[in-house]
Amino acid sequence: MTALLRLIGTGGVIAYRALFNWTTPAMFVGTLLVGPLFQLFFFAYLGRQLGVADDRFYIVGNAVLAASVACVFGGTMAVSNERRFGTLGHVLLSPRSRTAIFLGRALPYALNGLLIAVSTLTVSSLLLGLRIPVTALPGLLLMLAAAALACGFFGLTLGAIGLRFRDVWLVSNVAVALLLLLTGVNVPAAGLPAGLRAVGGVLPITHAAEGARRLVAGDGFGAAAPALAAELAIGLGYAILAAALLKLFETESRRQATLETV
Amino acid sequence: MLAVGALLHAKQLSRSPFEITTALIVPVVQATLAVYLFRAGGEPGRLLEAAVGAGLMGVWSSVLFGSGGAIQNQRWLGTLEMIMLAPRPPALVVLPITLATALTGTYAMVATLVWGRLLYGIPLDFARPLLFAVAVPGCILGLGMFGLLLASTFVLLRNANALTNTLEYPIWLVSGMLVPITALPAWTGPVAAVLPTTWGARAVREAATGSGPVWPSLGICLAISLACLALGALMMTHVERRARAAATLALA
Repeated sequence: MTALLRLIGTGGVIAYRALFNWTTPAMFVGTLLVGPLFQLFFFAYLGRQLGVADDRFYIVGNAVLAASVACVFGGTMAVSNERRFGTLGHVLLSPRSRTAIFLGRALPYALNGLLIAVSTLTVSSLLLGLRIPVTALPGLLLMLAAAALACGFFGLTLGAIGLRFRDVWLVSNVAVALLLLLTGVNVPAAGLPAGLRAVGGVLPITHAAEGARRLVAGDGFGAAAPALAAELAIGLGYAILAAALLKLFETESRRQATLETV
Repeated sequence: MLAVGALLHAKQLSRSPFEITTALIVPVVQATLAVYLFRAGGEPGRLLEAAVGAGLMGVWSSVLFGSGGAIQNQRWLGTLEMIMLAPRPPALVVLPITLATALTGTYAMVATLVWGRLLYGIPLDFARPLLFAVAVPGCILGLGMFGLLLASTFVLLRNANALTNTLEYPIWLVSGMLVPITALPAWTGPVAAVLPTTWGARAVREAATGSGPVWPSLGICLAISLACLALGALMMTHVERRARAAATLALA
């Protein structure tokens, strides 16, 4: 068990460090911390101008969503970069559980996403003047962590698809754009058709954003707990789906000898 | 040379399923989002404005990511040295690439308008259709020239791709592509005024909705873009000489 946890934890951290090895703190801050802030401002001002919802709706929703870019692209890169850098074969040759290796890689991205979401919420609240009840903070942190974890596994699912299809970045780009539309972060769920709402219901972020809004509104943890449970369940679902797809596509790639060529 | 080069690079970009699908799908998602937002805000009369705005956002994304990565892409393709060896000023060799990225950005504009018409029944009743047909290419030409400045600036940065991710939303916001500039804090006004994207977006919106005279906005957009082109050309020459002298042309 200790060895498995070491594989998941240490393996994930090493892979994360490798990913960010070539970047600089300035770029990390610019892309992952400043970028989501501008996204939030864009929708907050658009919402204000159209009178769709108040600042709280956009600040909280977009802060939860802020975790998604790092987690979805990170999860995708966790798998697809192995192919890009020619190391996929080495990883798959390992006698250890590849499921554990790859699932472990989602964890640092989830922590990263949590950091981004917290930073976005803090800075935007200060700049746009949102007051968050202190009692809501622990629950809010839990909600953001659940959203980040669900997004990380969602990204890993997309990354698994990268074992089969070459243009996995296309899938990730479209997925991130769809999260903007379908999770009710920017358009109130009531304003979306039932079909789109249903799709949003099985995506990460949707339930966490709803729960976070309840917490910030002062409804208490009890009111937000069902949303937290739903977000965690969705995260678990994507973790299982990612593990299944990784297993399936690895087997298929080995059988067809297309590991590095698809 | 500019026309042939732009056509060549536009063709090359159009062969990439990633580029095409991204240029088509992501703006359509943005347009859908804009349509639902405008509907939720009780502004169904402004849906054409929303579709045009989303299309312009797609054009800017195409220019930003395409021009920002123009040099890096050539480097990755192994063709940067060949391009720089051409007996032409480097700006003339790179400008067709940035123009091509703006050209492929028109897919976004077309996609959002067609999507809006077919799915949401948005009438394409442009207040000044002829001027719209002039304003869109004018805006695209302007953004292509602005792209050269981006390309020459980003070549100096090791992680230019990361910076491009940061610049997408601020320009959408400050240029008033969906959010009116008047809704923003006053200090953003001077920033907006020096961006060709602001004037290009304004010209296209004025042509679509008839909210103002198109020519002044388009003229200012092109004037600022020409200044960007001159600045970008100077910078590109400087960067190219420095890279040759330091033997770092092929290095990130």
